[in-house]
Amino acid sequence: MIEIKGVSKAFPGRKGSEPVQALKDVDLIVRDNEFLTVLGPSGCGKTTLLRVIAGLVPHDTGTVLVDGKPVTGPGPERAMVFQSFALMPWDNVLTNVAFGLEMQGVDKKTRELKALELIEMVGLGGFEKRLPGELSGGMQQRVGLARALAVSPKVLLMDEPFGALDEQTRRLLQEELLRIWEATRTTVVFITHSMEEAVLLGDRVVLMRPRPGRIDQILDIPMTRPRSTHLDSVESSGEFTAMVGLLWNNLRAMHSDVRRARQAGQAAATKP
Amino acid sequence: MATVAPTPARVASPGFISRLEAWPTVTSFIVLVGGWELIGRSLNQPFFPPLSSVLNELAINQAEIMAALGTSLTNLVLGFIVSVVFGVGLGLLMGAFRKLDAALDIYINALLTAPSLVFAPIFFAIWGLERWSIVAVIFMYSTWIMVVNTVTAVRTVSPEMLEMGRAFNAPRIKTWTRIVLPAATPLIMAGIRLATGRAVKGMLNGEMFIAIVGLGKLVKDGSGRFDASLVLAILVVIIVVAFIALWVVGWVDARLTRWLPKTSR
Repeated sequence: MIEIKGVSKAFPGRKGSEPVQALKDVDLIVRDNEFLTVLGPSGCGKTTLLRVIAGLVPHDTGTVLVDGKPVTGPGPERAMVFQSFALMPWDNVLTNVAFGLEMQGVDKKTRELKALELIEMVGLGGFEKRLPGELSGGMQQRVGLARALAVSPKVLLMDEPFGALDEQTRRLLQEELLRIWEATRTTVVFITHSMEEAVLLGDRVVLMRPRPGRIDQILDIPMTRPRSTHLDSVESSGEFTAMVGLLWNNLRAMHSDVRRARQAGQAAATKP
Repeated sequence: MATVAPTPARVASPGFISRLEAWPTVTSFIVLVGGWELIGRSLNQPFFPPLSSVLNELAINQAEIMAALGTSLTNLVLGFIVSVVFGVGLGLLMGAFRKLDAALDIYINALLTAPSLVFAPIFFAIWGLERWSIVAVIFMYSTWIMVVNTVTAVRTVSPEMLEMGRAFNAPRIKTWTRIVLPAATPLIMAGIRLATGRAVKGMLNGEMFIAIVGLGKLVKDGSGRFDASLVLAILVVIIVVAFIALWVVGWVDARLTRWLPKTSR
């Protein structure tokens, strides 16, 4: 379980401007074995929230507990999948997937056996000796996913993992991820800017709003599991359409709020 | 009107010209060699001998040139190895420790721009006519560009890659051996390539102006006698040496950075 209580984070602004409040008083509980998706417009702090959980950036106030232990930095029970894949181009698929275990000091034979198992699981069997540069974007992110799963994490942190992929590839990987998740039930925190993706994958959707970054609301997704076997009918269901519609209404309201605030700000600034 | 006229001259051109176009390096080589020979013959002046008499000179003095080449190559290899180890090593340290970089950066740049031969009297005072004087000159010529390149190589490792390492709990040593060093290798090798040419220059200058030995001695002797054929013959030898040195470095580079996509070579 991840418990986030009263977490705020500000980044220093550019010279002369105000600091940017990326997160303000965020409270959130991520349950065990839950697939949580986090959605919001750019600048709402969703990636910062993930990086705080990952221990990659320190938070200013509040507490972040993973299984009761406060987060002070990255830890082996959390693994991350990156939007840019972040594979090592000089190492082959096998070595890349085994990287996390290598960093934990697992011996070569054991870690490569485990890596092979995961390469098989993400559907890349036979590609273990290839370099990342020889693979398509979708295959590279499968490597990224296998690398994260190889360390057997309790929590899988995914930062817009399919954001850099084309529509068809993205769809195939969503299916693949759901299939793997339904088999393993690892706790997942999944950042996305796609409403459809958030609803399709998540048990709950956390909707965030910008300036300052905070949680707007949390929605339960009613569609049953497993979904991976019939994603197409999930997506054409009335529940799916209703959830996406609800999220869109909220996001649109957020956008007009932001516009109104900006206009008010300009009006105040131009007053004599 | 925007009609595009066909280019009949191109279509009608014979196969020979297009074959020359397909091999630009071969073509330029033929033009250079042929031009040298022709101009040399028609000028008929001692200061610009045709290629054939230069090659002839090379053949006549073969034994002497080979002996000198042996001496020079030994100097080159020694100087280059010392400067690669020191240059890349210092660059890595400066890349790792910002304070060290801040403290040394300005002096490295000063040494990079200073004409390296001005240090010759110092080396001469220390080692006299010994080989180490020349090794030191080679060192001064080739080291600093490698330091500068290596620092940049370490600094430009992508932050995403470093963050990935952090996210997977990479210890500091592993971060260096598994991420920073491989990522920095292409730029470090580029620095070593640049340094190769400088090392060859340093070798010749050291031999000409300090300890008069090797190929540098032959150049000095030749120019002292206004023997342009001999000077140019040595120049040909030096160019061949430089090419071989660059080829060796290029071969090592290609092996170390095989993972780079073809387009970024």
